Amino acid sequence: MAEVHVIGQIIGASGFSESSLFCKWGIHTGAAWKLLSGVQVGQTQVDTPQIGEMAYWSHPIDLHFATKGLQGWPRLHFQVWSQDSFGRCQLAGYGFCHVPSSPGTHQLACPTWRPLGSWQEQLARAFVGGGPQLLHGDTIYSGADRYRLHTAAGGTVHLEISLLLRHFDRYGVEC
Amino acid sequence: MMTASPSVFLLMVNGQVESAQFPEYDDLFCKYCFVYGQDWVPTAGLEEGISQITSKSQDVRQALVWNLPIDVTFKSTNPYGWPQIVLSVYGPDVFGNDVVRGYGAVHVPFSPGRHKRTIPMFVPESTSILQKFTSWFMGRRPEYTDPKVVAQGEGREAQPG
Repeated sequence: MAEVHVIGQIIGASGFSESSLFCKWGIHTGAAWKLLSGVQVGQTQVDTPQIGEMAYWSHPIDLHFATKGLQGWPRLHFQVWSQDSFGRCQLAGYGFCHVPSSPGTHQLACPTWRPLGSWQEQLARAFVGGGPQLLHGDTIYSGADRYRLHTAAGGTVHLEISLLLRHFDRYGVEC
Repeated sequence: MMTASPSVFLLMVNGQVESAQFPEYDDLFCKYCFVYGQDWVPTAGLEEGISQITSKSQDVRQALVWNLPIDVTFKSTNPYGWPQIVLSVYGPDVFGNDVVRGYGAVHVPFSPGRHKRTIPMFVPESTSILQKFTSWFMGRRPEYTDPKVVAQGEGREAQPG
């Protein structure tokens, strides 16, 4: 079995109109992949930037996968939420990016989007907060059935991910 | 005696249509499809996709974000006909009809690793002025019947962009 180590951190987020952001992240793989160590989902702390506009989380990611096939290469997916002074949470963006496939350290910038509702819902979101959310989280990282959605851009999630691959050459895979 | 056995290789493409910049248009969606030669066959994943409709962000960037996953594996015996990804972007016109806003194509990268490609998009234009007016009025722009012609080199002399 070939092995993949995904080690790095979610550095933070920039470009969001809201401050006080936190991120729920997860990693999705195909059926041939098995997680040997590490946690596959997580949630960062809430960060309110004091200097500048970028929210920093520095949330560590350390995952060890074993795989029998290349299909379903891991994808990291994110939900960025903002929390206001009353403790209510509002969705700021959904995003995903594939884990890189070449060994080494990579800087990733993942764009995000959020569903827009009708104009009444958009107006309500501006005044009261709230807003539409996805029912099924897998739309974030899958392309099926997206045509029903109307979305707007959110900010960008920044990550630094290092990748270590093991035994891929035994199976004739060039990375 | 020589035994000729074609060696099969696999090409796995993972990525996303991240975002677009269209200063003049808003509320766009994109479709992607792959164009490849006869020696290529997709073995896994989706060969075509359609994204959500996205609106420009309100800030200075004016970004149109789709974040649409691309996940396909090809099997081939010959680099000739290396797959190209063809993107078509559509948006509403004044009357609400979906009109093409741009076509573009690029080859799938040749080397393993991480790649980022920015593709310029173009729209076909009709040659007669009367047709330009009627197409604006009726909301029906000239469109390619098959977006895959964008990936071909032949026959381009006749197409003004």
